Amino acid sequence: MALLEVRGVTAGYGDTEILRNVSMEVGEGEIVSIIGPNGAGKSTLMKTIFGLLHPREGSIIFDGQDISRLQPYQIVERGMCYVPQVANVFTDLTVSENLEMGAFLAKTNDIAARKERIYEYFPRLKERRNQRAGKMSGGERQMVAMGSALMLEPKLVLMDEPSAGLSPKMVGVIFEQIRKINEAGPAILIVEQNAKLSLEMSHRGYVLASGENRFEGTGEELLNDPEVGRLYLGG
Amino acid sequence: MAEILQEAPGRSDDRTTNERIMAALRSRPALGVALFLTLVVFWLLGQQQGASLSDLLSLTVWGVMLGGIIALGAIGLTLVYGVLKFPNFAHGELVTLGAYGALTISALLPAGPAMQPFSFGWELMAGLILSMPIVSLIALVVDRVLFRPLRLRFASLVLFAMASLAAAFFLRSAIYLVWGSDFLFYYPGRANPAIEMPLGIRVQADQLFVFGLAVVLVIITWFLLERTRMGKAMRATANNPDLAQVRGINTERVIAWTWILGASLAAAGGVMYGLASQLRPEMGFWLLLPMFAAAIVGGLGSPIGDIAGASIIGVAQQVSSSFLNPAYGPGVAFILLVIVLVLQPQGLFGQGGD
Repeated sequence: MALLEVRGVTAGYGDTEILRNVSMEVGEGEIVSIIGPNGAGKSTLMKTIFGLLHPREGSIIFDGQDISRLQPYQIVERGMCYVPQVANVFTDLTVSENLEMGAFLAKTNDIAARKERIYEYFPRLKERRNQRAGKMSGGERQMVAMGSALMLEPKLVLMDEPSAGLSPKMVGVIFEQIRKINEAGPAILIVEQNAKLSLEMSHRGYVLASGENRFEGTGEELLNDPEVGRLYLGG
Repeated sequence: MAEILQEAPGRSDDRTTNERIMAALRSRPALGVALFLTLVVFWLLGQQQGASLSDLLSLTVWGVMLGGIIALGAIGLTLVYGVLKFPNFAHGELVTLGAYGALTISALLPAGPAMQPFSFGWELMAGLILSMPIVSLIALVVDRVLFRPLRLRFASLVLFAMASLAAAFFLRSAIYLVWGSDFLFYYPGRANPAIEMPLGIRVQADQLFVFGLAVVLVIITWFLLERTRMGKAMRATANNPDLAQVRGINTERVIAWTWILGASLAAAGGVMYGLASQLRPEMGFWLLLPMFAAAIVGGLGSPIGDIAGASIIGVAQQVSSSFLNPAYGPGVAFILLVIVLVLQPQGLFGQGGD
């Protein structure tokens, strides 16, 4: 059974319907990419899965439970974390404090050990652990945001455009870390504009356009699909 | 700061001299200088009215102590503003409730002798300590019946501010009903002789106690905010409420603790204010403007700034009483507030801006 199952979800804001009958799934330990043009509803799908927006129709099953009516903190408790695209760090807090806030719901006393594990993924953060996150570069902030989301040792991490606004070199670093994080356990669901890079790393992918599923397949299948290539990968 | 660096001679830019002067005036150092000059002018005005140097020094020292009380209120205002994002106009009434609460509690307890050199006995200390949770409870009830329903409906800032104004009127009326409108004293008729200090400064032992306690409470607050899990969660929620929710921080619990901390500090400030002067139903209301002024002078969102701002406001109010009727005190705070808003709205230590 899949870890996350989105079944025929319709959702939107006010009178606007942004997602229409979207279905998808993420298996244990998988990396799954959702690609598609701007305004296709990728971020809305993320927010709906995470409980920031509730579906009008359909259901979202996570780890065998229906989570479509739960609040974000209840979803976090069940082992799903979310890395928003913007404003994803507490700028007034230090790196170390940001990580602690990631583990706010943890019922354990090994916060320090968990922080050390995050510092192993991102050695840069250890050097700067007492610096305010607001004073860091875009790439470093992305590391803080991802590190905070991993503090609870989730089963699934949602990442909204992790490459947005980063230099090509930094994008490589971040994607390499995502791969390593995935090898250590959690499944990862990524929404990306940078479709090619994202699909190369993914086990499977979905193409979302105008709020509907258009294509689905393994990362390689989508990369090699002539129509997907023409429409969404820039030739 | 950036503006000042650009003023370096030899650097040409398109701005006229006038614009450059304005930019230099709108900087943090300029604000510090302007506030300092205001205090100097107050001193000189006091001297003109015949106040002696030792009088003015005494007033300045008292001002710093009044600043300690104002700071306790300003920190609460800043916390509530940070986490709940509205100016709480009922904060002054929490101060008043703290003062009257301690009066009633200490009256219920067997009176002990004064703890020399102070004018008060242990029962007032007990009153102070017990009034903090009582006022916290009142603040939590007000939040539950008034502010929480607004939160659930995502009401606008204006609605929250108006609701807090309504809460202020309601609480003040309740205070009139319960305790009456007369001036009350913790220890009617008991004197607290001044202690002679160097340079002819005269200070009461009670005033020193008040200041010492204010400093201790501010340090405890700083510790709570910087070192505890809930304190960090409060700062995180103030910084980015959406992300706090995403991280699994239970916002309602953070809000509850914000009220508890803010109301406790206000209550303690109220008891200290009552000890330094007398108890009146409007005592907290008259502190509201100085508290807001201190929070804005220091820069919203910075406890250290609150202390600096409160000291400046306290000194200005006290020294101004050497040439003005003390009833104009809040007006003096208002003048400083306007200076800050015109020159550098971020205040002395606030974040954002330059």
